[in-house]
Amino acid sequence: MRAGRAAYLIAAPLALLYASLFIGRFAVPPLEVGRVLLAHVASLPHTWPDSVDIILMQIRLPRAVMALMIGAGLSASGAAFQGMFRNPLVSPDILGVTAASAFGAAVALLLSSGELELQAISFAFGILGVALTYLLARVYRTTPVLMLVLSGVVVAAFFSALLGAVKYLADPESKLPAITYWLLGSLNGISTRSMAVAVPPILLGAAGLVLLRYRLNVLAMGEEDARALGVRTEIVKGVIIVCTTLITASAVSVCGIVGWVGLVIPHWSRMVVGPDHRALVPAAMSIGATYLLFIDDVARTATAGEIPLGILTAIIGAPCFAYLLRRTRGSWR
Amino acid sequence: MTARASGGVLIAALLGLVSIQAPVCAGGAAAQAPAATRQVTDAAGRVVTLPARVTRVADAWHANNALVLMLGGGDKLVATTVQAQRQPWLERLYPRIDRVPAAFDARGDVNLETLIGARPDVILMAYGGSLPKWAATADAYHIPYVLMPNTSLAGLEETARLTGQVLGEKELRVAEDYIRYFDANLRRVTAVTASLEDAQRPKVLHTASAGILTVDGRESLIDDWIRIAGGVNCAQVSGLGRPVTMEQVAAWDPDVIIVGTAPNRENRRAILDDPRWRGIEALKDGKVFVNPSGAYLWDRHSAEAALQVLWAAKTLHPDLFRDLDIEKETKAFYVRYFHYALTDSEYRSIIDAVAP
Repeated sequence: MRAGRAAYLIAAPLALLYASLFIGRFAVPPLEVGRVLLAHVASLPHTWPDSVDIILMQIRLPRAVMALMIGAGLSASGAAFQGMFRNPLVSPDILGVTAASAFGAAVALLLSSGELELQAISFAFGILGVALTYLLARVYRTTPVLMLVLSGVVVAAFFSALLGAVKYLADPESKLPAITYWLLGSLNGISTRSMAVAVPPILLGAAGLVLLRYRLNVLAMGEEDARALGVRTEIVKGVIIVCTTLITASAVSVCGIVGWVGLVIPHWSRMVVGPDHRALVPAAMSIGATYLLFIDDVARTATAGEIPLGILTAIIGAPCFAYLLRRTRGSWR
Repeated sequence: MTARASGGVLIAALLGLVSIQAPVCAGGAAAQAPAATRQVTDAAGRVVTLPARVTRVADAWHANNALVLMLGGGDKLVATTVQAQRQPWLERLYPRIDRVPAAFDARGDVNLETLIGARPDVILMAYGGSLPKWAATADAYHIPYVLMPNTSLAGLEETARLTGQVLGEKELRVAEDYIRYFDANLRRVTAVTASLEDAQRPKVLHTASAGILTVDGRESLIDDWIRIAGGVNCAQVSGLGRPVTMEQVAAWDPDVIIVGTAPNRENRRAILDDPRWRGIEALKDGKVFVNPSGAYLWDRHSAEAALQVLWAAKTLHPDLFRDLDIEKETKAFYVRYFHYALTDSEYRSIIDAVAP
């Protein structure tokens, strides 16, 4: 990757993170934003109301950081899976993690669990869903890609049906709208507490994918070739699945279903840096982080209400994808 | 008895059932059509022809089931909703509600066979401008339905009147009495609140769910009672249960928060414990309240909306309504309209919105 391009990719998400602290429905003068931020690293006279500090440090900052993390994580997962499955249509939810996590969250909402319990239940179900897929796909101590995909379809369909059952049982005055909005995706629920729980698995998964990015190049040539080159494909595949599952389950558990990011961003990144996973994985993380943060800024400021994230990512993501398809004429590598 | 013989008996029994059932089915709406009828004009301006004496009512509107009971028509219910059966207080006031077939599910869909099997004379349903998709089927089976307004507090009085008209003369008299009572409560509150300056009106936020932050906005019955009770609904969104951002809530900075979702007490606790809510005026003043819930949620289109206006007025302006005794009013209301004497602990369970 050229140095100039790398600098852009590092600077873009950070610049947008900084800018995001200035925009919102609650008017805070730009200078005051700077002073509040400084006050947390140096001692400054406290000249602003408490509410400004809460808005910036408890609401805007956690939300923006979480948008960066989830955007980066989902995009890296998408890039890794598209390489591993050697298929451009794959997104991180291919193994059923999203459907299973969503079911877990809906159950938690039905039971009126607290915020952290919801996160834990949703995350646990995401892991369970992928574990089921993996076991179902296992044949003679290998997990052929086709079996993984088909098992993923089965598990996702099963959990979607269970989710439907939960929605059917839910109270229409309170629970059902909550479940419906939750499934559309939103970062509104992010607090410092929920962040503390969600960030470690995402970091762990993302670190794993970054470390494995060279192996992804080998896997993308096909499993037999990879084995011939001495790569232990079963182990590499297993680790990639664990990493993407940690990321995606964690993302769904805090912000619901955010579609399209993990599908579109890897394509977009490939246009920028090419198909080499050594550059592609970090580039996808940067572009995905910037993209999701931008969309979330729109979601929280465009109207007095909150526009569900999943709606925006699809409305913006689908035309982007269409454009990319035309532009690359389907040659996805 | 051999298997074949028992099969034969079964078939004979089934045939017998069919032959018994058949005349009953045939003797439904069609055969009685020439009998005495009357007409009711509903919220959509439709003129609906009903049997002169309505004895079988299907109520598709969750909140309206308690109203039917209140007007004295509870025993006429032949089909209800899953949601109505889930109200612990409705169950306490009228245990039979659990045995009435729940033809309508939580989302407003219908099990047509249950509905038709219940042979209702009429279906009562809420109307906010559009018909449920099964209305066409009700038409096809010649089951009349009466639409009732569900978008404002004034509409609630109209709903009470329409429900009374549909049920019969005795129930209509109760409905008229209820409307007079409701109006008296409204006058009692507005006599004090109408002259309030804008600065004296607290900004109120009414939350509609907890797992995801949704609030009740403008153009709704909730907005109506907040205004009447002398407050301002600070949620500048339209309709019920709209999702809003935490930051937007902070920008609105409500003086009073009313938690309107089961489990209300736990949801209130979640707000008090969340650091993101800490800077908001209502929390500084300790003004986060649980909305009462009885035969139905008081804050919605329930019979108890007549009490809701009193409770909200007292909650928003305790010093202006010093002489208003919510406990006395509530107990009197339940005796007068539900013929049920609340104990002190039962009264508390309604105010705290927990199961009795």
